Amino acid sequence: MDLTLVGQGLLSGFLFGGVYSLMAVGLTLIFGVMRVVNFAHGDMMVWGMYLAWLLSARAGIDPYVGFLACAAALFLFGLLIQRGLVERIVDAPHEMQILLMLGVALVLENAALVAFGPDPARVRSPLSQATVWIGPIFVDVARLVTFGLAMALTAALWLFLARTDLGRSMRAAADNPYGARVIGTDVRKVYAAAFGVGAACVGAAGALVSPILPFQPTSGLGLSVTSFNIVIIGGMGSLPGAFVGGILVSVAESMGAVFLSPSMKELVSFGLLIAILLFRPAGLFGKTAG
Amino acid sequence: MTPRRRPGSTDRRTFLKTAGAVAGTAVAAGFPAVLRAQAPTVKIGTLHCVTGPLAEPGQACRVGAQMAADAINAAGGIKSMGGARIELLLGDTQTKAEVARAEAERLVNAGAQLLMGTFNSGDTAAVVPVAQQRRVPFLVDISAADPITANVAKSVRDGQQKVQYVYRNFPTGTLFGQRAVQYFTEIFKEAGVSPKRVVVMHANDLFGQNQARGFQAAHKAANPSWEIVEVISWPEPPSDLSTEVSRAKAAKPDVIAPITRPASAQLLLPEIAKQRLDIMGIVGPGSPGLYEAGQIAALKENLEYVMASNPWPNFKNARTRQVAEEYAKRSGGKTFDTNSGYSYDGMFVLADTLERAKSTDPDTVVDALKKTRFTGGLMVYGGPIVFNEIGDNPNAIPAMIQILGQKPVVVWPKDVAAEKFVFPRPKR
Repeated sequence: MDLTLVGQGLLSGFLFGGVYSLMAVGLTLIFGVMRVVNFAHGDMMVWGMYLAWLLSARAGIDPYVGFLACAAALFLFGLLIQRGLVERIVDAPHEMQILLMLGVALVLENAALVAFGPDPARVRSPLSQATVWIGPIFVDVARLVTFGLAMALTAALWLFLARTDLGRSMRAAADNPYGARVIGTDVRKVYAAAFGVGAACVGAAGALVSPILPFQPTSGLGLSVTSFNIVIIGGMGSLPGAFVGGILVSVAESMGAVFLSPSMKELVSFGLLIAILLFRPAGLFGKTAG
Repeated sequence: MTPRRRPGSTDRRTFLKTAGAVAGTAVAAGFPAVLRAQAPTVKIGTLHCVTGPLAEPGQACRVGAQMAADAINAAGGIKSMGGARIELLLGDTQTKAEVARAEAERLVNAGAQLLMGTFNSGDTAAVVPVAQQRRVPFLVDISAADPITANVAKSVRDGQQKVQYVYRNFPTGTLFGQRAVQYFTEIFKEAGVSPKRVVVMHANDLFGQNQARGFQAAHKAANPSWEIVEVISWPEPPSDLSTEVSRAKAAKPDVIAPITRPASAQLLLPEIAKQRLDIMGIVGPGSPGLYEAGQIAALKENLEYVMASNPWPNFKNARTRQVAEEYAKRSGGKTFDTNSGYSYDGMFVLADTLERAKSTDPDTVVDALKKTRFTGGLMVYGGPIVFNEIGDNPNAIPAMIQILGQKPVVVWPKDVAAEKFVFPRPKR
């Protein structure tokens, strides 16, 4: 086996894992706090990508700077969705949640289709083509930067949840919504903040990924499926789970591409999903029932 | 009060009833005559993937078809059918097979007497059963997968179906493969170089698999001096091709032969540049993604010098140049290419068939279609448009296109070439 190929595969997989992690973090946060499965996840991310594209094409702002604006825009969007729609179904049966979020996904996808057209778009950043060579192995600079930013954002989120009052209230509401209400937490506000922050993460992920991935309005579903895969493997509701899950899935896919064949990548990642569901259904970092 | 009736006379009510019945019959009998006074229309269901991952080529197809229908109607319609106008019933497959099938049913229910489409082999294959079951002649304007026609031809030969309603005016995967191998060998010889190692990289959908298989089969049959050392595929559309390209690099290729779709080409070509593959060139056996206006705009210098063996308009024909100008106006500056061109020609083939059939009866149309010998096509052909016993046009051939100066030009075969090819590509 060509060691260079294996080494390259490991490195590429690890760095791309940062992208996957960032995608998954927003999803797991919303589920962890509100027990709402955000099926519109992928489509929100596609909107993050298109906003980054608008900033880059119209205002010349590089996505590695513009991602903050995308995060802010999606934060507001998340708040609106939460206050307007999700709030009404938080206590409803799961089927209603699924229908609502799928509906939101459809509206987002078709709105993007109307606004931007169906052709694949890509953001050009000076970093997209940059590489750094370590002997025969190359490091994709765009992915390295995305990895670094993903780590920074996840760390920031972790601090927010651990150290701030709002963050602690979120964790309290996640653990025990009734108890949280009893001690005076404004659960509505907490839920709105959680959805907003989750959406902001997704927006940032979209912006940071936009120079790496060509995207279309129909890309949302594929991104949702990948994110769900990662979150289930890592454990729904667990932040470290999403982070580790992202890197694990990416490295597994990469190794599958190296050792089996590139067209069998998804076989490996979904095989991993099945293994987790069989042996540790709560996910690697998830809380086991009971 | 019952009116008294004198014998031989009628009362008011009876008179009104009788008069009403006579008038009604006259109108009913006369009504088709009123309709006949207007020109009849022939409804052609025109089904393409105008949204979804293959939206760009799909939209080009639709515009080409519409332009052709407008041109045919402006010239007087189908003269042998009393100047019947062509009316297009438009459908969108969304690049999804199940939607393609449903749309085909919808168009047939809305009165489509003929079908044309769809660009994407997977969607076209889903429409074939509808055409066969509902007995609607279906002209495939663009789709390369061999089984689309071959399966129907086989079931007719085996007696499972009576009539073949599916015909294709486009090269098949097999033909693509044969011509690609031929062009590869000829171009290498003409350039005076002998690359030995070719790596095939292809999208894993119905089209990509079929193309790759066709190319490999043709290579085996021709046994040229160059080898296909590795075949690498990916699920379409891909999110990341870095490992695939690393793998290709590890096989030490002289030439990369990609079979892409627009989305995968946007990932593949920059990745090949990034990983600094030391190759003589990128020469595709035939696929989308390597020549469209949107792709050139997105990929810029990464697409320069890339070659692909694709069916192409014959710009040496003055009429082609005229239509290309009109297409540029109607599409907002896009180049008349494979997709718009073959849909344009497809519509003209259907019009020619209707002229000879003089009817929209399915079996009459099929008989006329089989006897087609159309020389008015705008694309590069190896002879008149005819249909063989499988339902394919053996004269529909690709030409080698190269992106030179950010424009696609025909570079091979010599008799249709507009410019000389550049191979090996210049070192960066």
